Amino acid sequence: MEAGSIPQQAEQTAEEQGSADLVVGILADLDSATSSRICDALGTLPGPLRIAMLQHDQRGNPASPQAKTPTECASVFFLPSLLAKPDASKGPLSTSEAYQSVFAAAEKLQARGCCVIASKLEGATPERVCQIARPLLHDEADLVLPHYTSRKFEGLLNASIIAPMMRALYGKRINNPMGPDIGVSRQLLQKMLVKRAGNPGGTALHPLACLAPAAFCDRLRIVEVHLGTRIYPAPDWANMSSVLANVLSPVFCDLERNASCWQRTRVSAPVQAVGEPVFLAQDEGAVDTSRLVESFQLGNRELQEIWSLVLPPSSLFELRKVSRLPVDQFHMSDELWVKVVYDFALAHRLRTISRDHLLRSLTPLYLGWVASYAHDVRSAGALFPERRLNRLSLAYEAGKSYLLSRWRWPDRFNP
Amino acid sequence: MWEQVKQALMDSTTHFLTRFANLLPGLAALVVALFLSMFLAWILATMVRRILMGLHFDERLGRWGFASLAEWSPMNSPTRLVSRSIAALVMVSGFLIGVSAFDLQWTSLFVQNVFSYIPEVMAALVVLLVGNVVARFLARSVLIGAVNLNLQYARFLSIGVKWIVIVLSVAMALEHMRIAPGIVEIAFGILFGGIVLTLSLAVGLSSKELISKTLERDVKKAPSESVEDSLRHL
Repeated sequence: MEAGSIPQQAEQTAEEQGSADLVVGILADLDSATSSRICDALGTLPGPLRIAMLQHDQRGNPASPQAKTPTECASVFFLPSLLAKPDASKGPLSTSEAYQSVFAAAEKLQARGCCVIASKLEGATPERVCQIARPLLHDEADLVLPHYTSRKFEGLLNASIIAPMMRALYGKRINNPMGPDIGVSRQLLQKMLVKRAGNPGGTALHPLACLAPAAFCDRLRIVEVHLGTRIYPAPDWANMSSVLANVLSPVFCDLERNASCWQRTRVSAPVQAVGEPVFLAQDEGAVDTSRLVESFQLGNRELQEIWSLVLPPSSLFELRKVSRLPVDQFHMSDELWVKVVYDFALAHRLRTISRDHLLRSLTPLYLGWVASYAHDVRSAGALFPERRLNRLSLAYEAGKSYLLSRWRWPDRFNP
Repeated sequence: MWEQVKQALMDSTTHFLTRFANLLPGLAALVVALFLSMFLAWILATMVRRILMGLHFDERLGRWGFASLAEWSPMNSPTRLVSRSIAALVMVSGFLIGVSAFDLQWTSLFVQNVFSYIPEVMAALVVLLVGNVVARFLARSVLIGAVNLNLQYARFLSIGVKWIVIVLSVAMALEHMRIAPGIVEIAFGILFGGIVLTLSLAVGLSSKELISKTLERDVKKAPSESVEDSLRHL
């Protein structure tokens, strides 16, 4: 975010405060007691640190500066107005704008890094803020990403597309490349500013989607922190296609931007992990997949004319075979799913059809994969979902040569 | 008497031949203009065809959602359709130039009228083209949206939206070309109203069973939604 986009009053507040070592942005809707505990926890970080804290709730209201006074929380001071829009009538900040505001504040205050807490975590949230901050301040990490302990049906969009695709493309085994609870160093922030300045007319850089790829491509230090269990928002089934389009569009745009970088990567390697992994008992409940399968079958019947512009005939043939399977035997192979995702990424780059139409038409296919995954992990043990997703990641790595061929010769290589 | 008849015959022959001789340069000019325009049309059509083939125009058109244009094209090739249309346009222009060379009042008037009508035709063509593009875009949006909402009649909705927009754009184009504006207005009102009424009746009456089945299924499935809600995507 450009410094000029900070509200003027907020800029004055930032200038009055001078500088800070760390900027913490709280974007999750936390109660005042939790905020106070976060403030106290930040005070326990070693060293004489000046920490700026920015907070707003889901309704876009910046926290009151009276919520915690500097006397109560010696090393932490509040910058509430930075998370407000200059013109209040324009409504609350979007998630992307809120992240950019925090990054802009960190830049303005010349902080060594910034942390953003955007999700509610089960258990002690305040300590987790410190868990993200520590690698930034003491281990010289440039990007701190979360590693949540998920139940088998949680974070499916990330598990099915984002994480395994980034692992295959950039060669780093990270579990949540898009956070949302993250820590970013000053070095990475400055690199992002340079990238933004070099891309004035192009597609906007999404603050979450472009962080991890930027860190991979610039060979910066990435650390994963075990943060325990995250409380996921309930799915909005009516807007599933909007969610897919909003999340995948910046990911695919970034894929195009970093093509020269990921085409050089061959194998994946793990990143440094901090903290103790939390083990969670998997619930035994099965999911009724009939509606998911029905959505897939309806899509297969009605969206053929769109899919045929994106997918090669072999994939269309396989999908037709899958759609004829009865609900209880429904299965989509990892290889097929990986090819579908890679072909959609390629069609997004080639603008084969309107990008919004393209990503929305992926919804029935995604629901088909969810149904297939739900069948696979139905009666499995606690460790099976992790093994199942690892198998999917390996399929993404194996399918990378397919993406490379199609990316380089989209007209010639069309199996 | 015979002399007078002979004189009248001579006069009329001379008059006819003089008039015919006056027409000859115009006729020759028409023939020359036609030949020249045919030659120019052939050169232009060849150039356009080669350029479009080099650009893989037919394949690109399919990707842009105009695959059905191939069905209306000679030899199923939109490239040929475009090149032949350009050739025809050049030949018609040559013919009009040739006709105006007769230097007769009615031909000048005719050519003037034709040329003054061309902008209207072009505007109508643009309206048709934009209408077609909008119709296809909206049809695709509705189809994807309806499929994602799990509506079994997604295709039906999509086709309905497409034809409503196409009928609207055809009516606008005809109105622009001043072709029986009154009739077009009434016909459009009847047709548009008819489509909407048909859709309402189809949904309300013919699809009564389908809708009741859908609702029934939704009600039956309500308890399982709680199980499905255990899925978390983001």
